[in-house]
Amino acid sequence: MHKGAKTFRPCKEEPKVLQLSDVVKSYELKSTVTALAGITLSIAAGEMVAIMGPSGSGKSTLLNLMGGLDVPSSGSVLVAGTDLARQSEKERSLFRRAHVSYIFQAYHLMPTLRVRQNVALPLRLAGVAAKEAEARVERVLAEVGLENRADHLPDELSGGERQRVAIARALVTDAPLLLADEPTGNLDSARGKEILALLRSIHGRRGTTIVMVTHDSEAASACDRLIRLRDGQVEDDGAAPGGDR
Amino acid sequence: MRFLLRHLSLSYARRNLAKTILTLLGVVVGVTTFSSIKTAQDALVVGIGSTVDRVAGKAQLQVTMEGGVPEALQERLRNLPGIRATSPVIEQIVIPEKGELGSLMVIGVDLLGDREMRDYGFEGDDADLDDPLLFLAQPDSALFTREFAKRAGLTTGTSLAVKVPSGVRKVTARGLMSPKGFAQAFGGNLMVVDVYAAQELFGRGRRFDRIDVRLQDGVTVAQGTEMLQKTLGPAYRVETPARRGEQMERLVANFTAGFNVSSAFALSIGIFLIFNAFNVSVNRRRRDIGTLRALGATPRQVQVLFLAEALIIGLLGGALGCLTGTAFSQALLVSMGQSTEMVYGISGSGVVHLTPAIVLQSMLLGLIASLIGAWGPALSASRISPTEAFAKGSFQAKVQRRVGPRIAAGVAFVAGAVALALSSVVKGNALVLSVLLLGGIGLVLLIGPLSRAILVALGPLLTRFFPSAGPLSSDSLLGNPRRSSGTIMAMALSLTFVLGLGGYMGSTRLTIVRWMDDILTCDLFVRASANFSRPDFLYPGAVKGEILALPGVRTVESYRAIRPQFRGRQILVGSVEMDTLMQRVRYSFAQGDLKSMKEGLLNKEMCAVTENFHDRFGLGVGDKVPLQTPGGVVQFPIVAVLHDYSSDQGAVFLDRKVFLKHWQDDRVDIYDVSVTPGTDPGKVRDAIRAKLSGRYPALISTQREFKDEIGKAIDAFYAVMRITVLLALGVAFLGIVTSLLISVAERTREIGILKALGALPGQIARSVVLEALVLALVGLMLALPAGNLFASFMEGPVAKAFTGWAMPHHYPWEVLGELIVALPLVSFLAAGIPARQAAGVKVTEAIEYE
Ligand SMILES: Nc1ncnc2c1ncn2[C@@H]1O[C@H](COP(=O)(O)OP(=O)(O)OP(=O)(O)O)[C@@H](O)[C@H]1O
Ligand SMILES: [Mg+2]
Repeated sequence: MHKGAKTFRPCKEEPKVLQLSDVVKSYELKSTVTALAGITLSIAAGEMVAIMGPSGSGKSTLLNLMGGLDVPSSGSVLVAGTDLARQSEKERSLFRRAHVSYIFQAYHLMPTLRVRQNVALPLRLAGVAAKEAEARVERVLAEVGLENRADHLPDELSGGERQRVAIARALVTDAPLLLADEPTGNLDSARGKEILALLRSIHGRRGTTIVMVTHDSEAASACDRLIRLRDGQVEDDGAAPGGDR
Repeated sequence: MRFLLRHLSLSYARRNLAKTILTLLGVVVGVTTFSSIKTAQDALVVGIGSTVDRVAGKAQLQVTMEGGVPEALQERLRNLPGIRATSPVIEQIVIPEKGELGSLMVIGVDLLGDREMRDYGFEGDDADLDDPLLFLAQPDSALFTREFAKRAGLTTGTSLAVKVPSGVRKVTARGLMSPKGFAQAFGGNLMVVDVYAAQELFGRGRRFDRIDVRLQDGVTVAQGTEMLQKTLGPAYRVETPARRGEQMERLVANFTAGFNVSSAFALSIGIFLIFNAFNVSVNRRRRDIGTLRALGATPRQVQVLFLAEALIIGLLGGALGCLTGTAFSQALLVSMGQSTEMVYGISGSGVVHLTPAIVLQSMLLGLIASLIGAWGPALSASRISPTEAFAKGSFQAKVQRRVGPRIAAGVAFVAGAVALALSSVVKGNALVLSVLLLGGIGLVLLIGPLSRAILVALGPLLTRFFPSAGPLSSDSLLGNPRRSSGTIMAMALSLTFVLGLGGYMGSTRLTIVRWMDDILTCDLFVRASANFSRPDFLYPGAVKGEILALPGVRTVESYRAIRPQFRGRQILVGSVEMDTLMQRVRYSFAQGDLKSMKEGLLNKEMCAVTENFHDRFGLGVGDKVPLQTPGGVVQFPIVAVLHDYSSDQGAVFLDRKVFLKHWQDDRVDIYDVSVTPGTDPGKVRDAIRAKLSGRYPALISTQREFKDEIGKAIDAFYAVMRITVLLALGVAFLGIVTSLLISVAERTREIGILKALGALPGQIARSVVLEALVLALVGLMLALPAGNLFASFMEGPVAKAFTGWAMPHHYPWEVLGELIVALPLVSFLAAGIPARQAAGVKVTEAIEYE
């Protein structure tokens, strides 16, 4: 979409999915830990963004704020025009259901549920009828190439397969924003590449906005844009190197 | 090991304080129940015994006779050789008008002659009784203990109102006794009056309850007993005070035995709470344990570590349980004392002591309970492989055991229990213990697989009715079968207990009520005393004629009961005019029939016995009952065996004419009055009251009132059991709270993910509440058949062993109804805190991974 743009600025005509201004997140422990020290950035619909930075630089914290899993100490986080910082937990939950989905490094599948049930979980939580949920689960499982594993337990799958189940679970609600925290962190590079390719193709096909935290520059290069964090601040924000795949 | 304990266990305990406290609570609840019941039981029995002892003073022998000893006996005794002193005694329990002072034991003695027998502690300046003659000259004189006087605000010269058969009477304190020896009996709630004043006060006529005897130095108790028995004849009983105490203790032992069952249940439920908690603690620490193993700990070391934790918890819980138990036991004792007083007319002093023996037993029980509870979890901890330290993501142990053998063993144990209960290989306490043990083990084995099967079956239903919360709850319940089945086990056991005991109580009550409907068919009951088993006052036989002469009275029967010893038990011998009685009463026969009974009782001096008498002593139709009468032993042939609940020890019934002939005593306990058809019993009641007023005490109840009163006595008997039923509900509550808190803690990460996936706090909270309801429901489903078995066991073999009564089974619908209302409430309340905790799980913290 924004292929080849050297100094990347989000296009003005694209609606903003994410708009963070002056976001500060600090933890009051024995001393105050500032995880994020004033972050301002915006992400347009349909972007695929990588976030990199050394350990402890605030990547996960930032991602959690973007999805409304947590609220900032100060500043505002607008997702699709809604300021999550001013909402109650329940409102944020309802909002998340419709707009945001997650992929985690450690998959976080329910160990006692079959693949099919794991993927259906967000729909069931949102009160979607079993029949309809079933159909949608079949569709996304086909999309991630796991239709023949639907009745397995997570323990019976490989790491790559488990992450694909997690991706299917993220896709099943058709949320426009997908947040991923080191989705390839637990996988070898071949499996990692497969997952990245899968995310890339989803992005291409569905136009889902994807924000992905990663340590892996290869993963970052699969994205359009790269944000570098250091000590809770944006160090660099621009087109991903080699973003020409 | 010390290092591990300090660094691993202590830090776990500190980090999981709530859970550690809950584990401890399991031990505490079990031990508290045990020690409070045991302490109260002991205090009651010891109190009864020591009251007899203390009141006896220096008396070595006591002479009694059914219906009281005539006054003239004292003269006879005094002139016998070898006797140093004799002293007549009347004993009676009264209630002061200010009820909070507690029952008072009144002792009537001959104060002038009695100082040889008892030490009244009259030393000190103000202590002495100024003038014994003044004391005797005024019939309202009484002595009190200093302790009681202080509580009642009495000083010498002031008076106290007490309830006696003829109404409320004022007695005046003429002196105070120091708290030593005699004055310590009955916890100091003692009032001494002149024995002749007591005769008048309690309507004893010219009789005493007994005569205390002190032998001359050099005469042994055995010699004295033999000599007295020989000169006095078989109508008199000559016993040592200790033996009298023993008999009373035996009488209440029946009553207190029921509590052993309760404490056994409380303990076993405590064990399950501990088992549950340790199980979870092992699961939570799998990774730590794996690391330990990777670092070189042997499986044995791991096991010992957990057992050492159990040891500490057991000791701590045992000690705490002892303390809280003592606190409860005082209240329990008061309640038990009221029941025994009401049912048997016996009560002891009201002070509990935490004896070293009870402390030791409680600590030991706490220890054993926690070791048993922790054994399985410790074993499974020792089997954790070192690789678990490195396993990521799989934070749950997979349990896959073969259930076939387990179910088979469970069925075998339950079948064994049933077979044992039906056969008569073992008897008494051994029977109760062995059946409960076998049945308990069988249940424990069966509950796991059964509850799992029920949960699996319930899953689709839950999903259907609660589309979003349902799958979450059922998943959480099935996800950790050990935790859920542990809770369900505790629930099912305590509900089994509640249903079983409830069923038993209900059946007893129903049986007795039905029997009363058959037996108590007259319109009015005229009594002098409110106490059934130890009447304070008896009417002269001539009152019958006076009542019969009143207008509207059709028939009057004179009922008299005495309670002699028969082969070591205190049976009841009842007599009444059988000819009129048998016209209005419906009998239920175990042996014999109405026609032969009528003939035998009225014309052949035969007797009818109750079924429990027949079972207990092996005497039936064709046998003879040898009964002690003032004229010697008389053999009464048995003509019929009746289903009858007059006495839990056994009863013999005679026609009044036969009783009068052999016992030479025409006094009457109760006049049963039937009115002529169409007459208002209320009018007749007023007429009888007017007739007797001023001369005799008269409590006149209609049929309805009389039955209600007996119903109340039965309820009093079961009041204490009801407390233990409440306790079982409390344990159920505790079990659910523990299980859910643990469930929430274990699933923090899952709950976090669920929230990240869009679950609302309310949804999560609802699923936890639903989980609690399902736990209770499954527990109840399993308890239904088990409780029914238990109730049948209590009603059949147990009731038979302890009361001789066979109770027809009656399903405890009322209890079930109460449970169906109470359980959801209890589980709802229990789910409150865990649900709030679950709803408040922070997504960001939950999804962090190590
Ligand atoms: N709940 C918390 N309480 C206190 N401090 C926290 C908490 N969560 C995060 N932090 C601190 O905030 C800072 C940023 O943490 P964050 O998890 O965002 O880092 P990260 O960039 O994701 O690191 P990594 O690459 O290791 O995952 C760290 O210094 C961390 O210690
Ligand atoms: Mg991180």
